[in-house]
Amino acid sequence: MSGDEPGVAGSAATGPTADIRRLGWLFDPGLVTVVLASTLVVVLGGLVQVSFGAYSMTPSEAWRAVLNPDVVFNTQAWNAFLLGGEVPDMHERSLIAWNVRLPRVFVAVIVGMNLAVSGAIFQAVTRNELASPFILGVSSGAGLMILLTLVVFGSLTAFLPLIAATGGAVAFLIVYAIAWKGGTNPVRLVLAGVIVGTVLGSLQTALFFFADDVGIVQSAIAWTTGSLTGTDWQQVRLALPWTVVAVGLALVGSRQCNVLLLGEETAKSLGMSIEKVRFALSGVAVLAAAASIAVAGIVSFVGLIVPHIVRNVVGSDYKQLIVGCVFVGPALMVAADVGARLALNPVQIPVGIVTGLVGGTYFLYLMRKKSNLGEI
Amino acid sequence: MTANESTNESSGATRKNDAGQASRTADTRQAVRESESSHAGRESDTSRVTRSCPRSEPILVGEDLTLAYPGSDEPVIGGESLAVELGVVTALVGPNGSGKSTLLKGLADQLAPRDGTVLLEGRDVHELGTKELARRLGLLSQESTSPESITVEELVYHGRYPHRGFFDHVTESDHRAVHRAIELAGCGHLRERELGSLSGGQKQLAWIAMVLAQDTDVLLLDEPTTFLDLHHQLQVMEIVETLRDESDITVVVVLHDIEQAARHADRIVALDDGEIHGYGTPTEIVTEELLATVFEIEAAVDVVDQGPRITPLCPISSSDS
Repeated sequence: MSGDEPGVAGSAATGPTADIRRLGWLFDPGLVTVVLASTLVVVLGGLVQVSFGAYSMTPSEAWRAVLNPDVVFNTQAWNAFLLGGEVPDMHERSLIAWNVRLPRVFVAVIVGMNLAVSGAIFQAVTRNELASPFILGVSSGAGLMILLTLVVFGSLTAFLPLIAATGGAVAFLIVYAIAWKGGTNPVRLVLAGVIVGTVLGSLQTALFFFADDVGIVQSAIAWTTGSLTGTDWQQVRLALPWTVVAVGLALVGSRQCNVLLLGEETAKSLGMSIEKVRFALSGVAVLAAAASIAVAGIVSFVGLIVPHIVRNVVGSDYKQLIVGCVFVGPALMVAADVGARLALNPVQIPVGIVTGLVGGTYFLYLMRKKSNLGEI
Repeated sequence: MTANESTNESSGATRKNDAGQASRTADTRQAVRESESSHAGRESDTSRVTRSCPRSEPILVGEDLTLAYPGSDEPVIGGESLAVELGVVTALVGPNGSGKSTLLKGLADQLAPRDGTVLLEGRDVHELGTKELARRLGLLSQESTSPESITVEELVYHGRYPHRGFFDHVTESDHRAVHRAIELAGCGHLRERELGSLSGGQKQLAWIAMVLAQDTDVLLLDEPTTFLDLHHQLQVMEIVETLRDESDITVVVVLHDIEQAARHADRIVALDDGEIHGYGTPTEIVTEELLATVFEIEAAVDVVDQGPRITPLCPISSSDS
């Protein structure tokens, strides 16, 4: 990680204490609380997900199935999970836990992490409190490609994750190109994003008319509202490398975000190549958003509210904010997916609906409680 | 040679006569004498005074600058030249909309000139890398925004941005520079405070500390005293004078208050409607004639020990313009 300014302690550091101070911001009480609470939510949510379903286990059985050393320390099992090899023989409960139910939790973690980080970056790049991962046309581009694939090019459905992610990234590039006129600025970017989003959204809605099968429509809705139904290790394998890259770059870029928040003029006078930094950070955010779209479709709201929730606790320092988002995003996503999978059992609803309900309600509660919520 | 000792002493440029500054004071004194000699002839040709009076060597030079904002055809500054002298405080004054801030942005390469060049120590600023320029020249904008929850110290550390690579950690020299900047700006007691909790004056001191941490030779300040109470105004101007006296930093400052400029600056550039109307020491520039033509006010100017003192009388109606 780069960019470590002492945020907690006071005077200039000297000698051996410098290393401790360098990472001192990680031990901010607010941040530690956020990280621990989020981890707890993820673990509890994961345990519920593993326990319940068509094959039920008690929580202690589930716990033992998950912590089964035969799986946890089995390289062949990990080879199967992460590289797609042959799944070794294991206890039935462990098989269900590890091969069916846990991957879904992991996908939720990955998606939540990506969306939260992506939203946080876009809020800095556009200096806009309402920015989300999808503010620069990513969701509408992905949505249009999803509909096109399902309705028009049915034979390409196997490639839907990649097509959707690519559609989102291309839409982002179109928005940037439109907003670019010898340079750009947040307002131009957001305007171009909204307009491209509207145009592509209209096309997407129009395509629904040509869907002649209710199954296709349901599939399209699942993709465009975001769903984790049926995800397994394949989705983890698809998204994990991009997530590692995107989150790593986001952590490295957090100091640039901090300087961007000082305003364009200050950033420029400090010697920032503002157009390059803005485009690079947007690229990282789009990568994260595309990775989540590829495995879960377009899950809205997570990327908008998680950064605000974290900011509410740790303040606006992006180093702390990104770390917080890496934990709170998964917590919201895993908790929401518990609802999506089990609330109307056996019917599963798209997780995007639950994130809107759960996240939105919590956000409204915060808004009522805090007067300055939403300020970047 | 018409310069006599009494006018010389009263001019803004010769007020700093502490021992450490003896040599430079002598230089400035010389420059003032030279300029006094051409004073009579300048009344008719106020816009090109720079060449008529040899002064200390220029560090930042704008040559035939034409500055306009993107998307606008009308240039704000139309082909003006300005040589900022090394180690002195230069104030840009002029009525609202005269192009003071625009000129400052042009000098800082924040606004690419339509025509002309800006040279910093002889090199075109546009060809310096953005970070290299930011290590030599700092600009504090008029309205700076920041997150409310950032602390003063965190803000000041951002001033080290041009000195750090993409992956660089905070080094010992960063700590020292930040410490020095905070001390110099007199906001040590605010170190841990969040910006959102500060008054306007305290905020301004924090921003000044940030730009000081940049550790540049040239500092451009855009109206740093506007909207501040008198105490903070004086504090800011004192910082500027300390920078000049103790660190040999060249300061260009846009000031709204011409009397403040007269009191604290060594050189004044008077701007009117995008043109440089005059350049010289406060006593040369702050005259009743200039106040009438540039500021469109009728005023009485008395030269006292602290420099010219202005008593504004009434506005002059500008029916002719």
